[in-house]
Amino acid sequence: MTATARPAAVGGERIPTGKLAMWWFLASEIMTFGGLLGSFVLFRFAAGGWEDQAAHVNWRIAAVNTLILVTSSWSIVRAHHAVEEGDRLGAARGLLVTVVLGLTFLGIKAFEYRTELAHGFTPWSAPFWSFYYGLTGLHALHVLAGIVANAALCAVAFRGRGWERVGQRVEYAGLYWHFVDVVWIFLFPLVYLS
Amino acid sequence: MHAASRFPSYGAIWTWLVALLVVGLFCAYLPFGKALAIFLVFSVAAVKAFLVVRHYMHLRSEGVLIYAIAGLPLLLLIGFVLTLVPDIVFKR
Repeated sequence: MTATARPAAVGGERIPTGKLAMWWFLASEIMTFGGLLGSFVLFRFAAGGWEDQAAHVNWRIAAVNTLILVTSSWSIVRAHHAVEEGDRLGAARGLLVTVVLGLTFLGIKAFEYRTELAHGFTPWSAPFWSFYYGLTGLHALHVLAGIVANAALCAVAFRGRGWERVGQRVEYAGLYWHFVDVVWIFLFPLVYLS
Repeated sequence: MHAASRFPSYGAIWTWLVALLVVGLFCAYLPFGKALAIFLVFSVAAVKAFLVVRHYMHLRSEGVLIYAIAGLPLLLLIGFVLTLVPDIVFKR
């Protein structure tokens, strides 16, 4: 047991500080995204006519992006598995796939934004579009942050130097990445399908 | 912990997630009426989120503390939203 461990539940296993900190961070993120999603739902109930605006978003592209994000969750959990197995290069490959899929997600999202803006659907067009750009934009920023973290870990994993020190962080990066995936799992039907 | 129980078949979970994505899309365009379609779509989304949280985030092997950290903000959030619902319902 390292010095960076804290007691967990009574009689339970000790939780590494990094993991505990990540879960605390995710708890704050639940409030951030949950507040926005709740506001979206309440505003939509309070003011009618949002369906006309929502009909203009491209659910097919968003479905492809959902598939990409779900697949990236698989690749990063494979990377975590590889860390547990002591397979550094396996972890590096898993992280690399996750980074590439994350960049693909952002590329598709950028294409989607460009198309919508070209059709005149700006953040100030209607309340729906304000929420649309706010929610998906904040999510995209989180994807970008995850890509940066995963890319940094991927570089260390390929290089090998310092891997013993940072290998465990793949689990923390994975927790964050899965959370971003879960947010999208709810964002997709909320914005594109309902 | 036994390795086989600690690491579920991640590929199988992914297959379920993709299948549920297709089911969710199918539900959204069923001729059942908007309310039922939305209910089905969000039910499918909840199952997908459950699979990710339980198996990919390994919540099934976590202790009470992690459940509390993740669950309390969720409960608070649900409370906040429910508190505002009457305001909208009675305003109409």
